[in-house]
Amino acid sequence: MVSAKKHVPIIKKHPKKWHRHQSDTFKCVPSAWRKPKGIDNRVRRRFKGQMVMPSIGYGSNKKTRHMMPSGHKAFLVHNPRDVDLLLMHNRTYAAEIASAVSSRKRVEIVAKAKALGVKVTNPKAKLTTES
Amino acid sequence: MSERSNISGDLIWEVVRNSNAYLVKHSAAGGVQFSRDPFNLVNKHSRKYDGFVNDKAVSVQPNEKGGVTLKTKKPGKAYKPASAYNEHAYGSTVSNRKLYKNIADAVGKNSYRGDLNKAAVARASAIKLSQRPKKETPERKPRGLKGHKTEA
Repeated sequence: MVSAKKHVPIIKKHPKKWHRHQSDTFKCVPSAWRKPKGIDNRVRRRFKGQMVMPSIGYGSNKKTRHMMPSGHKAFLVHNPRDVDLLLMHNRTYAAEIASAVSSRKRVEIVAKAKALGVKVTNPKAKLTTES
Repeated sequence: MSERSNISGDLIWEVVRNSNAYLVKHSAAGGVQFSRDPFNLVNKHSRKYDGFVNDKAVSVQPNEKGGVTLKTKKPGKAYKPASAYNEHAYGSTVSNRKLYKNIADAVGKNSYRGDLNKAAVARASAIKLSQRPKKETPERKPRGLKGHKTEA
């Protein structure tokens, strides 16, 4: 397995999840982000001490976008043939075995990835047994 | 493309760039595009690297029994599939230096596809590396409470 290419440090400007305003007070308000639209809404009017709203400025650096902490980007693979695609990209992309792949085929994929020096993000899934 | 045909590589590329049999499109990592074309040295979907749109293209593929096969397209022979390629297989015993030198010479600096020279050698190198036996990853030692239990 090869480590990822050198890259600028990954900075998450807002590491926490964005929550919808008042989703903590009302059970019927789910936490998925919705922009407050009310005429008097203090969050919308950006009052001091209120929660911040997501905006484009919180986006990640283009160079580190989609990057895992290891510096790789995940690429979903379903079979060993897909791993072949990453032969020349093993320092930028890591293989992620799709959830529907059986454990028998996972063995082949993991072996192939090892030969090509491709990192697999979930090599132990469905392959380890509880002792 | 053959000289007889009046279809240029550029036209083919414009027609098939959005969808073709080799193209692998994933929405992961912000929309990544790879190519399965054997004549694509870096598996990247692009006009330069995709072999089927170029008159001249290089293929470096692993042999079944180890080693590398180098293939180059003969320009103007697209209508003669049997003799459309120059092919040379390098066995597993050929030294790396010799292999890279041969590939670099075949791809050329200014003659055939100088822009693919480095990519071809890099691919051959990666394939050779992948054919070497790999070390077993050492088993992880249990840490924390589990580790103490096994020791005692």
